[in-house]
Amino acid sequence: MKHEQMSGGHRAVNAGCAKTTLRRAQGGVLSAIRGPSDFASCLLGIGLAIIFSLSACSNDPYPPEDGEAKVLYSSFDAAPRTLDPATAYTTKAHSVTGVVYDTLLKYHFLKRPLELMPGLAVDLPLVTPLEGGRTRYRFTLREDLLFADDDCFELNGEGRRTREIVSADIAFQLMRLADPLIGSPVAETFANIDGFVEFAAALEAYREEDPAFADLAAHEQYAAAGGVRGIEMPSRYVLDITLHRAYPQIKYWFAMEFTTPVPWEAIAYYTGQDGRPRFDDHPVGAGPFVLSEYDKQSRYVLSKNPNWYGVRHPEWKAPAAIFPTEGDEEDRRSGRMAYAGRSLPLIDRVVVVREKESIPRFNKFLQGYYDASGVIKESFDSVIQGDGLSAEMEGLGMRLGKAVSPDVFYIGFNMNDEVVGRSNGESSRKIRQAMSLAVDSEEFLRIFQNGRGVPAQSPLPPGIYGYESGYENTFRRPNIERAKELMTEAGYQNGIDPTTGEALTLTFDTSSTSTAGLNQVRFYTNAWRQLGIDVQIDGTTYNQFQEKLRQGDYQIFQFGWVADYPDPENFLFLLWSKMGKSDFGGPNATNFSDARFDELFVSMKARDNGPQRIAEIEEMLSILERERPWIELFHREDYSLYQGWVKNVKPMGLSIPTYQYRDIDPTSRSDKRKAWNEPVQWPAYLLLLAGVMVIVPGVLTYFKERQ
Amino acid sequence: MSWLEPHILSNLVTLGLLAGLVFAARVVRAQRLWREAAVELWRRRRFAILVVGVYLLIGLADSVSWTGGVPDDAVGVLPNAPLSVLDRAFLDSREASYSAPFAAVEFYGGDALRHPGGHPLGTDILGRDVFYLSLKGARVALLIGGLTSLIAIPLALLFGVCAGYFGGRFDDFVFFLISTMASMPSLLLLIALIMVMGRSTFSVCIALAVTGWVGFCRLTRAETLKLRELDYIQAARALGVSEAKIIFRHILPNLAHLIVITFVLMFSGLVLSEAVLSWLGIGVDGSWGQMIDGARDELSRQPVVWWNIAAAGSALFGLILAVNSVGDAVRDVLDPRTARES
Repeated sequence: MKHEQMSGGHRAVNAGCAKTTLRRAQGGVLSAIRGPSDFASCLLGIGLAIIFSLSACSNDPYPPEDGEAKVLYSSFDAAPRTLDPATAYTTKAHSVTGVVYDTLLKYHFLKRPLELMPGLAVDLPLVTPLEGGRTRYRFTLREDLLFADDDCFELNGEGRRTREIVSADIAFQLMRLADPLIGSPVAETFANIDGFVEFAAALEAYREEDPAFADLAAHEQYAAAGGVRGIEMPSRYVLDITLHRAYPQIKYWFAMEFTTPVPWEAIAYYTGQDGRPRFDDHPVGAGPFVLSEYDKQSRYVLSKNPNWYGVRHPEWKAPAAIFPTEGDEEDRRSGRMAYAGRSLPLIDRVVVVREKESIPRFNKFLQGYYDASGVIKESFDSVIQGDGLSAEMEGLGMRLGKAVSPDVFYIGFNMNDEVVGRSNGESSRKIRQAMSLAVDSEEFLRIFQNGRGVPAQSPLPPGIYGYESGYENTFRRPNIERAKELMTEAGYQNGIDPTTGEALTLTFDTSSTSTAGLNQVRFYTNAWRQLGIDVQIDGTTYNQFQEKLRQGDYQIFQFGWVADYPDPENFLFLLWSKMGKSDFGGPNATNFSDARFDELFVSMKARDNGPQRIAEIEEMLSILERERPWIELFHREDYSLYQGWVKNVKPMGLSIPTYQYRDIDPTSRSDKRKAWNEPVQWPAYLLLLAGVMVIVPGVLTYFKERQ
Repeated sequence: MSWLEPHILSNLVTLGLLAGLVFAARVVRAQRLWREAAVELWRRRRFAILVVGVYLLIGLADSVSWTGGVPDDAVGVLPNAPLSVLDRAFLDSREASYSAPFAAVEFYGGDALRHPGGHPLGTDILGRDVFYLSLKGARVALLIGGLTSLIAIPLALLFGVCAGYFGGRFDDFVFFLISTMASMPSLLLLIALIMVMGRSTFSVCIALAVTGWVGFCRLTRAETLKLRELDYIQAARALGVSEAKIIFRHILPNLAHLIVITFVLMFSGLVLSEAVLSWLGIGVDGSWGQMIDGARDELSRQPVVWWNIAAAGSALFGLILAVNSVGDAVRDVLDPRTARES
């Protein structure tokens, strides 16, 4: 039975089931009727058939033999565009690539703030400062690691299904990041590696000069182009990465799929030709799961990878292959610590089913057919009460997971603008301060986000080094009176522009054109209206908006940023002048540039966590507080619902999937499913009765007339 | 302050329209045929005409605006901003967020409202009075219907009459143009035009006019083809009357009933088209279509927020029904073939 038809809930399904049976029964039996007595027995037969089929009819969308298996059920709305670890950069894609590919480093599952630990590597990298400000990171790979079984390894010889992972596989992937043909979104970051940019240029030059070179397989091209100077392999298992400038954050990138080992065989084999899928759609990795079934239109399945080192060598007790033994009080209370030391993964399979609409998805979650779900806006008030779950949901044994996601949403001012930018000096600073004072994030969250979120005081969200819960930004506590005073000090009494005698008019550029999206922007413009500032909304398509950003033709805009890794550098670089949009095409769309801020940023970036770094971050935040290039709005808070039978849920943010740590209790699940999906049979009987009442007189009349 | 402030321009246009209306009324009074038709129309559709009149009055009240005269403590009013009569009537009606009709507390959270029981149709997500928004939608609807007709009908007349009267190459050209326009999916053309011209009331009206003139053009062309062969026009031509004079003296007056009928029937269609455009995210700010579009998510909330879509929907329905009903009667009265039946 297909899923899509079941969205109406079990009642509709039962009726449909009975109806088809009825039609089939009629077609088969009515032709054999010879007289009234035949007819009566036939009717009895139909009735029995329907009752029989009803008792067998269930709305369970999954095969019954999976009922007791350790299978986790989840859903997706649209398939990720690509699963290539060099280019996949969305949460959707990472939920697959994050478990299919494994990385040298991993994050500790339970510790917060997040902490790195060794994954495929034996230990954390050995950092050696070299002459000329260069730094070397030495990673030592575990021995006897295998890729997941795959057809592509037949390239090495008939019948070969896998091979050992060596440091060259990681080097190969790093070179893929540099390859201009692949166009990795993070190539910029890895340009910190010595010789990385030169390698990309050499590759491009070779390809242009020699058509025969362009026809070689990727790994042969990379080797012929001479490789990257800063990537060396002293032995089969040792990888040396040399950075030409200080960038301590590089270690976080070795916990992301961008730096996973990729076999050259997979790239050479999965080209999209000769009936083989493209590498985009056929990952070959070394993670705890393999993508054993992948249908973009309907479902995909992740199954336990028997070649994963955690499965093959449980005796290693590798930190990323066992359930962590250290946790906090909350982990003990929720029973997670009972799993301490068990080898991963705890479940056999993850079945992810396509579900395009949110309401049917949530209904199936309520029926027990999905193990986790977000809280949809439509039923927010019936699911959440106050700070926790409603009594009804508690009664079903469900649990609520809340996590502030490592992101920040903000309104930015274009500092190159003549009115709100730096050329207007003190006056524009006061306008920005006043506008910041007028925006009430808490009210915004209450109206538009059901109160989910934390009003932001600075660019740094909770859980990021340098975030202080006690810090209060003087310009982020709504105060209309003070804001009006500031407008007067700026020379705009009651918002009136002295040069025109009319309200100060500004433009808010947004890429949302839907009524609902514009209402959110109107919330801000209404707030500024209280100061007498007339902010016009210019809603355009996303492409036109990007075009305006490129041309520097904007005043006020709204953006959000989600962290790649838990380091303040990943947020504060958004205000670094070297990242300026207009001058360098970087993500600093405010074009904010402050000499002291830049100086502190460069120093903070290269420093390890410690009191000095904290002091620098504090000073940077105080500069932002005064200068107000941003109005920090809020950090989102994700609410997720979990069924009572799902164990070990602890979101990590950063779009890191944690399937290997999950556990489920299939017995409890099948009991609950049965209880929640008791078929409502009376409509079917009613239908049967109605059918009989229509058919019986008709048939009786027919026989009467024949006689 | 310059004389070409938008609100002063709007006041002038409103004044001009009023003057035009008075002038039209005088013309109708002066000519026996038109007067009889008007009396007959009033006899048949008194109620519908009154309803349209009420919408017109509301639109008028929102079109006349001036600056000043606002208390200093009024919340959310820009200094020196022009406010219409309607704006002044609802000057201080904002709440924080949703509230149900006649409610005393907020819909979510239950905080006390600033005007308990003061919102007969509740408030929307930004706390704006829905009754006020629905009334303001009347002006937008009239503007869309009126402005678009004012662009489309002269365009159609120009091409239709010239093609019908002069025939030949020009007729071929116009007919080719009409066929080309008619073979394009109008919704896609609309979207493309608005995307090119940018989103504003005026560009939406132009886009609607460009896609809407074809049908009427075909009609006027056919009618002109018929008229030019009639005896009195042949006679005028034989007497050496100039072409322009024939068109203005003999052809246009004989198309007048068609113009009136088309205007009234086109009007409701245009208002509905705008609602569709709003639903696609390219409508006119403040229209009922946008209110309905904004209510998309509200209907799936629990408990349901129904007053936004209900208010906008019934305001739209009321206007369209009244205009259509009047339009129907106008056709019956003015069309010589149906005029006798009553």
